[in-house]
Amino acid sequence: MDFASLSTQLLVGLSRAMILFIVCAGLSFILGVLRVPNIAHGSLYMIGAFAAYSIFTHLGSSSSGFWLALILAPLVVALVSLVAERALFCHLYQREHLMLLLFTFALMLILDDLVKITWGPEYCSVLAPNILRGSVSMFGASLPRYNLFLLIVGPLVAIFLWLFVNKTKIGKISRAAAVDREMVGAVGINVSWVFAAAFVIGCFLAGLGGALVAPTVSICLGMDHDIIIEAFLIVTIGGLGNIWGALVGSLIFGVTHSFGVLLWPQFAIVFPYAAVVIVLLLRPRGLLKSVW
Amino acid sequence: MVLKIFIIAILPLATAALFFSSCKKAPKIERPIKVGIIDCYSGPPAVYAKDALNGFKLALNEINKEGVLGTKIEYTTRDTKFKVDIGLSMAKELVMREKVDLLVGTISSSVALAVSDYCKGEKVPFMVWISKSERITGEKGHRYVFSTGENTAMAGKAGGVALAKKPYTKYWIAGDDYEYGHAIADAAWRNLKKLKPEVELLGQSWWKVGEPDLIPYITAILAAKPEAVIFCTGGRSMTNVMKAIKATGMAEKVAIWIHTATDHAVLKPLGPEAPEGVMGTMDYHFYYPDTPANKEFVKAFKEAYGEPPGFPAFHGYITAHFIAEAFKKAGTLDREKFIDALEGLKIASPVGEIEMRACDHQAVLPMYLGVTKKVPEYDFIISTDIVTLTGDEVMPTCEEIKKAREK
Repeated sequence: MDFASLSTQLLVGLSRAMILFIVCAGLSFILGVLRVPNIAHGSLYMIGAFAAYSIFTHLGSSSSGFWLALILAPLVVALVSLVAERALFCHLYQREHLMLLLFTFALMLILDDLVKITWGPEYCSVLAPNILRGSVSMFGASLPRYNLFLLIVGPLVAIFLWLFVNKTKIGKISRAAAVDREMVGAVGINVSWVFAAAFVIGCFLAGLGGALVAPTVSICLGMDHDIIIEAFLIVTIGGLGNIWGALVGSLIFGVTHSFGVLLWPQFAIVFPYAAVVIVLLLRPRGLLKSVW
Repeated sequence: MVLKIFIIAILPLATAALFFSSCKKAPKIERPIKVGIIDCYSGPPAVYAKDALNGFKLALNEINKEGVLGTKIEYTTRDTKFKVDIGLSMAKELVMREKVDLLVGTISSSVALAVSDYCKGEKVPFMVWISKSERITGEKGHRYVFSTGENTAMAGKAGGVALAKKPYTKYWIAGDDYEYGHAIADAAWRNLKKLKPEVELLGQSWWKVGEPDLIPYITAILAAKPEAVIFCTGGRSMTNVMKAIKATGMAEKVAIWIHTATDHAVLKPLGPEAPEGVMGTMDYHFYYPDTPANKEFVKAFKEAYGEPPGFPAFHGYITAHFIAEAFKKAGTLDREKFIDALEGLKIASPVGEIEMRACDHQAVLPMYLGVTKKVPEYDFIISTDIVTLTGDEVMPTCEEIKKAREK
């Protein structure tokens, strides 16, 4: 257990945490502002990955195709979510949580089938651009370049989110709406459009996560189920509705996983979940302040 | 006059006698032979199921041109949706309502085992063509179940036999934490240890099926510095494993063996991201063996379906031929006689003669060990330096099967 392997393990764990953070921040944002436990969030992540695949292949599977896919795929997801919000969600915000839970679960099943109809059941694959292929040597161990790229993208997204929530008007309104939506409406703000914007931004992040993960995995049906369970655990331990809680939760999840793999590879799957149990025993409402 | 009467009287009698005697030699079957196919035609496994069905259809076109016992082979398909209960009810429906002569399927080992159990009770022949659990023709085998595909025992033994010839002694085992992964690992390690007792297992990693992020596993394995790694993975995890191997440059640091890593269905979608230098075993390649029989099969398949056949297509193809030949040999549609005829039956196939082993009803298939490599002829990575491991080399012996079944 030398320094090289420990540090690579930390870095690959952190890079996974970045993807989890991007997806979970979106989920948590929607949870906070809209109070909707969106189970279909994972499906939007999957659509992001499939959309990235389509855009990438239409552009001749080139490096520039990848960069364009990274920008366009989340926008596709944002568009899908805008339609879903205006057509469906906006009529349901007043319903109780159980109804919303069932509704988003149904939406997940519908989106799954739509994905199957659109892209078929085959596995799809996106190539990382040339510059991000292969690995670099760090501390005497090799680290995939793509993981380093994720380590740069994650903090950038976090900074943008912070600026958005704290510095823009719509961000401030959505924070206010998260605390007291009636009051926001009472001061003359069109809450309906604030909710739509918040929902679309949350889903955009799901799509971005999907597009970012696309080159590292096989894109297929079922990837939504994998992420949604982890995502809900993460937002729960972080504090429901708190974006920075999602960041803390993702870091705990990603790093315990990668160190678990190093320390006790046969039972590595247990580690992140054990961490979740410990956090919930000590702080049942999550690590950071929950808006719920 | 007498002669004329004689001829008039005798001739019809003679023709009638001739007709009846010829009937006795080759009895005319009035109805078509019905094959019921249950497989998963929805979700990701559908790709494999459709490939197998295409191979089967291609063979039927050839077979039905001349017919079997003066009739044709027909088939009906049912979707199992990869679920045991649905698969089982579809099998029952085919046997009871459609009155099929035999069942064929499926990609899911759990469905195959459940249907096999049902067929044992109903005394209906069942031919398994894709699913790879060694229990189908091993410990859970019986008179009514056959397998025309390879299984985990064969795959693992092929890996063990192949690796025993290499100089490595320090091993690591990693794979998907489900039956297929563990079955391959057990068979590979058992055989490797038997052939080369000095090998040492440094450790194991098991991840949940479909685990999206395998990089931490790979970096942890590399940190333990094994000489060779046995990956036991399939399906969508296979792509993730191959991508992670490529991203970490793992194949340049340690030797890697993965069953089916050399499968075209795995390598093609990966394109240039498929790692080179990975050892893989496979029971069928459309580009190997480079024989006229295989070329002809590939050409016919490409003309019919636009792409080269995968391993399920090969299994579907030989399944149809096994069925046809067995009915021809049996001379009747009787199920028991069909089984007797199928036992030990040898058919010609694209990869040479294949026997249906009588002791366990497992088709004796060769295994091709190769290394992934980029070659100028193709724009995808293929298996090169292929060594053929014969069926006898990679299959458990009849005594081992007997012992497993007695347990």
